[in-house]
Amino acid sequence: MASVWKEFSKGLWAEIPPFRVVLGLCPTLAVTKSAENGIGMGLAVIFVLVLSNALISLVRKIIPKKVRIVCFIAIAATLVVAIELLMQAFTYPLYQQLGIFVPLIVVNCIILGRAEAFAAKNPVHLAIADGLGMGIGFTVALTFLGSLRELLGAGQLFGHAVMGGSFKPFTIMIEAPGAFIALGCLLALMNCISIVSARRAGKEPSVNAGGCGCGCCEVKQ
Amino acid sequence: MEESQVMHYFLMFIGAVFVNNIVLAQFLGQCPYIGCSKEKTVAIGMGAAVCFVCVLSTALTWLVQKLMLDPLGLGYLQTIVFILLIAALVQFVEMFLKKIIPPLYKSLGIFLPLITTNCCVLGLAILVQREEFGLGTAVFYSFSASAGFMLALILMAGIRERLALCRTPRALQGIPLGLIMAGLMSLCFMAFKGMIS
Amino acid sequence: MREMASMIIVLSLICSASGFSLAYLRQATAPLIEAQVLENVQGPAITRVCPAADNQPVEERKAFELDGRRIMVFPYRQGGKLAGVALEGKGGGFGGDIGVMVGFNVNNDSLLGIGVTTMSETPGLGAKIAEPKFTRQFQGAAMPVEARTRGGAVDAISGATVSSLGAVSAVQAASRDYQALKPQILQAWQ
Repeated sequence: MASVWKEFSKGLWAEIPPFRVVLGLCPTLAVTKSAENGIGMGLAVIFVLVLSNALISLVRKIIPKKVRIVCFIAIAATLVVAIELLMQAFTYPLYQQLGIFVPLIVVNCIILGRAEAFAAKNPVHLAIADGLGMGIGFTVALTFLGSLRELLGAGQLFGHAVMGGSFKPFTIMIEAPGAFIALGCLLALMNCISIVSARRAGKEPSVNAGGCGCGCCEVKQ
Repeated sequence: MEESQVMHYFLMFIGAVFVNNIVLAQFLGQCPYIGCSKEKTVAIGMGAAVCFVCVLSTALTWLVQKLMLDPLGLGYLQTIVFILLIAALVQFVEMFLKKIIPPLYKSLGIFLPLITTNCCVLGLAILVQREEFGLGTAVFYSFSASAGFMLALILMAGIRERLALCRTPRALQGIPLGLIMAGLMSLCFMAFKGMIS
Repeated sequence: MREMASMIIVLSLICSASGFSLAYLRQATAPLIEAQVLENVQGPAITRVCPAADNQPVEERKAFELDGRRIMVFPYRQGGKLAGVALEGKGGGFGGDIGVMVGFNVNNDSLLGIGVTTMSETPGLGAKIAEPKFTRQFQGAAMPVEARTRGGAVDAISGATVSSLGAVSAVQAASRDYQALKPQILQAWQ
């Protein structure tokens, strides 16, 4: 039980994507125009991530090593098509808002990264805990970034005006540049916190690193 | 070709490279944008490989969609079919280049395995379907958009090469500063919006 | 050889499992998706062409058969009587098909108005066909609708002739369907 909790909770703070482990930047930047979109994207990722982790962990022993990536992609893509259909059936406006980023969940590094780094090596209950933790962490992060941008960029939170009449919104925050700048500043803030707390504990600080284990980021020469 | 058609393609090119830059305005391909932009040579190699695969995969997926999925009413399987096609295509291109054009393989080879999960490629294949382009337009658009990707990657690498020599605060080093710079570049690219209105 | 065989077996097992489950899910969600698309894509355009409806055009829709095609017709009631119907037509634009929802007055066969449902025209140029300046021209227009360059009364948007003509041909397609279906429509709702 303790190990399940450990795998679950690491996704919530110690390895929260995309802040601590820089995974899945594309949807993070693209859909966080508002808090609502952030939650929607996060929930879709939770669905795919938990099920793909569970399925991959179940079949991990029968998958030949050479074709494992293709198998992972096929499983993830199946789940993505399923969530596409479900979203069209139940939350069509959200599906339109997220647009192309719903099918692109399949190439989100989080899915393949967790499959390769965790689900392919661990039993089902741990894989589900890991997927759930990472998914919830990702959702929290997207919602936070979305609220921040919506608040500064439109003076709203979940579509309700909250900043009062005299507030002049920084429209740039809900445009493309705002996404990069807001995420960059948040990452720097996370680094700051870890540097300060590591110094207090008298340890060498570790800053967030790129690379996600899915092999799509860094060139290994 | 009519003059208006030439103009249309020209506007499309400018639009895809500058106004709706695939990295800086549409947020596709962030991983390689941050991960492969430390040196200019790496950036050029990655950009060229993406360009090459994008054009091929857009043509292939377009044909499959129009000749297979649409007539059979299987449009909902788009995502899964496209990603498996792209994975197979990348594998095939890798083997083909290794056998037939070794020099090209030498310069692009190390990037090819990374490209399957690059959202640029799948993103463009789906994007041209959603925009309902014809085959020629789709391939041209995909070429322009991936040229935009290459441009953004090379510019970023140029900045980061100089930045490596500067003293920056510890907390900002690496990805945070990369993202903030990307934001500033995106701001500059937004200025092109006035060109096509 | 054994490895090869196991690779092929595992891959085909995964693919067939995914194929079956997705086909099942697709069948289960198809009616829900159709309803959602109608509400969110065609819905706003229908409200635009029949603003004063005192019924729910989307919910009372009926499908009609015409030459093997399935055409969705939306009734528009005022004061309890059928005042008009809306149906969608398609025409070729610059960047693919343009879908236009056209409202028809059933009493005098004139147009109530049009609303663009789907298009992928160039923003700022062809996309102007969705703006009131262009769509207003169709309000109360008598059939047949034709562009001015072809002897009609509809002015094309300067710089976006192809898109404008595409919208006009979409309206013409809808008009043809309307005229062919009119007896059935009157029978169904009167």
